[in-house]
Amino acid sequence: MTTTERRVALVTGSGKGVGAGIVKRFCSEGIRCCINCNANRTMAEKTLQEIEAAGGEAFIYQADVSKPEQMQAMVDAIIEKWGRLDILVNNAAMQPMKFVDQYDVDTLQWLWEINIGGYVRAVQTCLPHLRKSPQGRVVNISSIHGKRPTNFDAGYAMTKGAIRMFTRELALELLKDGITVNAIDLGGCKIEFKTGNPEMHFLTPVECTNPRMPLRFLQVEPKDVADLVWFLCSDEAGNINGDGIRLDRGAVLI
Amino acid sequence: MSEKKTVVITDARSVSAKCAAEYLARQGYDVQIVPETICLWDEAALAAFAQPLAETLHGVIHPAPEKILGGIEQFSGDDWKRARDEGPMAAFCVTKVFCNIMREKRQGAIIYLNSIHAEKPVGEGMLFSMGCGAVQMLCREINQDYGEQGVNCFFVQKGIEEGEENCISNVSPIYCGVDQRYPTRKMPAQDHLNGLLAFLLTDAAAPLTGSDLRADGGLTMFYNHRKRTEGRRYVHDDD
Repeated sequence: MTTTERRVALVTGSGKGVGAGIVKRFCSEGIRCCINCNANRTMAEKTLQEIEAAGGEAFIYQADVSKPEQMQAMVDAIIEKWGRLDILVNNAAMQPMKFVDQYDVDTLQWLWEINIGGYVRAVQTCLPHLRKSPQGRVVNISSIHGKRPTNFDAGYAMTKGAIRMFTRELALELLKDGITVNAIDLGGCKIEFKTGNPEMHFLTPVECTNPRMPLRFLQVEPKDVADLVWFLCSDEAGNINGDGIRLDRGAVLI
Repeated sequence: MSEKKTVVITDARSVSAKCAAEYLARQGYDVQIVPETICLWDEAALAAFAQPLAETLHGVIHPAPEKILGGIEQFSGDDWKRARDEGPMAAFCVTKVFCNIMREKRQGAIIYLNSIHAEKPVGEGMLFSMGCGAVQMLCREINQDYGEQGVNCFFVQKGIEEGEENCISNVSPIYCGVDQRYPTRKMPAQDHLNGLLAFLLTDAAAPLTGSDLRADGGLTMFYNHRKRTEGRRYVHDDD
């Protein structure tokens, strides 16, 4: 058995979409995965079935990442099952798609606790175990909205700006532990649906796309994200640290 | 200044904000400082403060909160909430309340007097830096919403100022021997941001709206201190 085959990963928000793409890729490479979901267990079960059918090893843990006690219980369950944790991929997030005037402080605090609080707490909880790994890795799935503004969700962009600095600070802090920390600044990604405010789901394509540049040329797929995450968790990426890698097919440059 | 123009400073405790308040008052602005008794992330309380100023409101300067230092395993739950509320939540409420007033008149400016730590990490300042990154994105975002309604917005990244020299990080040496880290080999004067802030409040600054302006005396882009201190080694407190 190789080192890779023995490694264990936690991917938050991996029942569907980008997270599901990542756990499927990890499991296909022999990594054992905890599939974390919160609201949509049915889709997580579908993801698990696909992994098991392909010979991978995973289990589902339903937990709200904004709740510290649920995060701790999830990590405890991983350690109890496999005795180690090598990779943390922070992915669980919400995108309410609200304009500035539609936000109030309560909504913004709620979003902050999930989109950035969930990431911070996951690292705090996993850190003792990541330190024991010969190849500890943290990958934060973020967004191009942490660098370039849109005009339809200031609150979401604020949390992504925070993740940019969270990644840089954490990378410096964990340098001495040999744990790398990177972010992926993701552009449009083709997924089942966004978790957040479904009524405004179609705002982005209608208002923000160029009719001469069809959306299919600008969107990535969960598999593309998974490929990059896999690379960042490899030996070859050991010197990449504190970075935010844009994955958007160049859409932000248009 | 013939016409009364009010500039609100949301927190004048920092050296740079205090200097700016005095300077702008000398320039003829009606400078109003939000009392410490008003919670900056209480939208209703802020609105009650702002409403009487609506007619003459010309600009807002919103400084970053006090730094909270410590690594990811060192800050408490209270630290987390304090950083969240005094940083991004306060900036958001200030923006919403004052920019909504200014856009009615299709004129005004909001200046986030923030920090180089919106870009530069120190390895032990996570809570502060995350807040700075969030407010930086807030500035860029509201430039879309309020910019087309005549409100300019600017994000100023100030460097290290008097009283902050002791914010030592065990990871990044940026605060160590800070004087040597400036091209001029000395920390900028306390009032070095006054002129910039005054300019940003004028119509002439409109083409710069949405900008990040790094005003750190060259600190973060200067690396020749190594040559200048040949034979010296910066040491951390615990070395």
